[in-house]
Amino acid sequence: MTTTAVSHAVSPAPRRFRFGPLWLAAPGLAFLAVFFLVPVARLMGLSLEDADTGALTMAHYARIFDTDVYFRVLLITFRIAALTTLFSLLFGYPLAYWLARLPEHRRGTMILLVMVPFWTSYLVKSFAWVIVLGRTGVINQIGMGTGLLSEPLELLHNEFGVMVGMVHAMTPLAVLTMLPVMTGIDRRLTQASGTLGATPAKGFWLVYFPLSLPGAAAAGLLTFISSLGFFIVPALLGGRQQTMLAQLIIVQVQEILNWAFAGALAALMLTTALVTCWLYDRVFGLSSLSGEPSDGKSGRKGVLRGLGLAVLDALAGVSSAVSTGANRVLGQAVSTRMLAFYCALMFAFLMLPTLVVLPIGFTSSQFLEFPPPGYGLDWFRTYFTSDLWVAATIRSFGVAFATAIVATAIGGFAALALARSNSRWRGLIFALFLAPMIVPRIVIAVGLFYLFAQMGLVATDVGLVIGHTVLALPFAFVAIAAVLKSYDWRLDQAAATLGANRVQALRFVTVPLIKSGLTAAFLFAFITSFDELTVAIFVSGGVKTTLPKQMWDDMILQLNPTLAAVSVVVFIVVTTLLLAAERLRRSSQA
Amino acid sequence: MTNDKRMLIDRRNLLKIGGGLGVALAAPTILTRTAWANEQLTVADPGGPYGPGYRKAFYDPFEKATGIKVINVARDAEPTAQFRAMVETQSYSWDVCTLTLSARDILEKRDLLEPINLTAADAPGLMPDSLTPVWLGIDVYSTIMAYRTDKFDAAKAPASWTDFWNVEKFPGRRALRKNPIDTLEQALLADGVALDQLYPLDIERAYASLEKIKPHVDVWWTGGAQSSQLIQSGEVDLIALWNARAQAVIDGGAPVKIVWNQGLYSIEGWGIPKGSPRAEIARQFVKFCADPKQQAVFTEFLAYGPTNLKAYDSIPAERAAALPTSEANLKLMTIAREDWWSAHRSEMTERFNAWILG
Repeated sequence: MTTTAVSHAVSPAPRRFRFGPLWLAAPGLAFLAVFFLVPVARLMGLSLEDADTGALTMAHYARIFDTDVYFRVLLITFRIAALTTLFSLLFGYPLAYWLARLPEHRRGTMILLVMVPFWTSYLVKSFAWVIVLGRTGVINQIGMGTGLLSEPLELLHNEFGVMVGMVHAMTPLAVLTMLPVMTGIDRRLTQASGTLGATPAKGFWLVYFPLSLPGAAAAGLLTFISSLGFFIVPALLGGRQQTMLAQLIIVQVQEILNWAFAGALAALMLTTALVTCWLYDRVFGLSSLSGEPSDGKSGRKGVLRGLGLAVLDALAGVSSAVSTGANRVLGQAVSTRMLAFYCALMFAFLMLPTLVVLPIGFTSSQFLEFPPPGYGLDWFRTYFTSDLWVAATIRSFGVAFATAIVATAIGGFAALALARSNSRWRGLIFALFLAPMIVPRIVIAVGLFYLFAQMGLVATDVGLVIGHTVLALPFAFVAIAAVLKSYDWRLDQAAATLGANRVQALRFVTVPLIKSGLTAAFLFAFITSFDELTVAIFVSGGVKTTLPKQMWDDMILQLNPTLAAVSVVVFIVVTTLLLAAERLRRSSQA
Repeated sequence: MTNDKRMLIDRRNLLKIGGGLGVALAAPTILTRTAWANEQLTVADPGGPYGPGYRKAFYDPFEKATGIKVINVARDAEPTAQFRAMVETQSYSWDVCTLTLSARDILEKRDLLEPINLTAADAPGLMPDSLTPVWLGIDVYSTIMAYRTDKFDAAKAPASWTDFWNVEKFPGRRALRKNPIDTLEQALLADGVALDQLYPLDIERAYASLEKIKPHVDVWWTGGAQSSQLIQSGEVDLIALWNARAQAVIDGGAPVKIVWNQGLYSIEGWGIPKGSPRAEIARQFVKFCADPKQQAVFTEFLAYGPTNLKAYDSIPAERAAALPTSEANLKLMTIAREDWWSAHRSEMTERFNAWILG
């Protein structure tokens, strides 16, 4: 609630130049208009045209309503995305909480562990889960071998399998989005509540938890909307009934070549996502991401707030009772370590697929088998002697690095603009920056191909960077907006009174203070690009191939352990880079 | 069609409006392309293990015979969208591309393919289904049944789709493809329809038959790599999949056997993007690939059948047994009729999606 107070304090200042701070969003708006709105609108426009005459028609939309299959798939998509969000937040919150309380130098190292899943491609991770969860997989083998199981468990090709894969993919995103907000919470506030007589449980639920909500809400929105577009995970780990809308859109675009109908389906998905954003705005307020004061609604909010506080109070009571009980049963020593123990389990879950994939890189077999029947370096030889693989790896790192820089810069200025502005266009601009996440990637990819062909950017690295920046912008933007939400603007005013101009205030005050958000933004953007397949397929034309594209090509006929060998190489390179960066950061601080 | 034209008109207008900038941006690519024109051909193949196979059988020998360098790039599994975008924007990253029958028909219907100017007389021995005015088939793949030999004895193994549907006599975990193509045919064959009387498909009968096997299908696979993994790891005991994927698993030492009986084969081959500036060289290349000796070389790499049956003159008998177009295997199978599918695919996909959710 302090944050609201701060925004109130600040609001008169920007009101003097009404559109003022919004200019900072201009580069981002221009970028999105040219490389996102125009190409997507042109492709979606096809959904309103008759394929033969070009006349305006609603036939493609009417077709959606002719059968219930699209609504059922939409419902399944919604359900999977919602459950993924719920579990990612539920499992991720305690982990983020634990990380936020660590001393800074240890936190840095632990964050590297959270990010481990990011450095293994979606394709490879999904296959790793197949190896772990399959009927003859690791878990069932251990269970049957030790006699714990009499029948293999059905862990794969059903909703459970999809959930494991999706939650695993989304938890790091959720944790890393919540973390900057949590580290920004003044821990003395909880201590103060203790001095005033609150139990630790009350201190957490009534003080810490509400302050951490903007982070959790941002994480929820990001996870939900990115989950809507998944297609590889449900295809590989799901069963008969786990079909998601993105899969149907891809079939229409690529196999049936009915772009008009694909456009109509994409519109359905877009509408769903927009409705979600609208609901989110009603419940949390989009402002919870970028700091808009919520005046005018205070009456209703008051009731809601009272209700919320009552719920939190009840939760505090329950958890207080549970922890007293746990203390009695397990003893003080064990129950205080519960959180650390839980986090160790979470790390194990996050790293499991990688731990399975790494040894497979050294297998002597032709297949992705675990444990490998024998060991050798054949697959590394295949990798290092192939110009294609090596070139693809280098290109992927380069493109991802460039994308991360561009997206963080554009997204950062836009987030800054929105955080400081009071314009009534804010909501719209906010939605626009999130939009690339909502529109199915295949639609963006095809649209961009047309645009790039006109600009001579097909099969260029610049084209790849632009395409990836479009996709990475929402993540970078939200990550920065979330930290700015709890940023105290009076610090900038203080800098100004001390004679700093705007640029100096930004450089010496704002940027250092929101560094955690900037780092998160940079990493999200890097990973978005590094693991991106769809745009790479279209924009690269097969000529300038990136690592995921090369993996995908290699997987068409059969899965061979080159993929695992590549994962080992990427893993080593990334870990070395991150550790070096971490060391550099520490020595520069010392 | 109109969509296509509209996109083109948009492009021209934009170029006009963009004026100098557009031309300046495009100029370097056009210049380099012209310089390469007589020396280089960009071929889009399916990538992965196809690359080395095609190179040995077609690319290198063609380079040697003509002096034209062949660059190969991996195309996407379903290249139609990219192909369409390429022709409509006239930015030809590829000169020749491998296309399945369905991709060929979709592209041909939209007039996106260049004639190849090849007649049956130019390539004696070619299967009749593998040549059209815009496309030359070069290899044949087949959707077959495979089973685990550690689960079924050779004497009591499933030998037809009727056996696959018979869960009492052949207990085991089963996998089918999550796609109506081939699956509807399999359902009809299981229900007793004769191989040569499949088309036009009796849809209601096919779904009635599918309804019987539905509760017994443990996995509905979506990708080729997934299908090999399923049978290789023993996740399932019986599966419908493409023969080369099954063959790769067998070659890797897994206890798996192919049932050719009632297989459904299809053909993939070369198509040239409409209006390509290097169409003439591309035609030379396509013609070169009809040669039976070159096709025989390719079969050493992948278990796909040559379309020029004369190739079997130089293929060892042992290898021929693993190929879909060898005489013994071909007579057990039928072609999956693309004319029927291209007319019904959209509607069938919708119905299948609805059915499978229910």
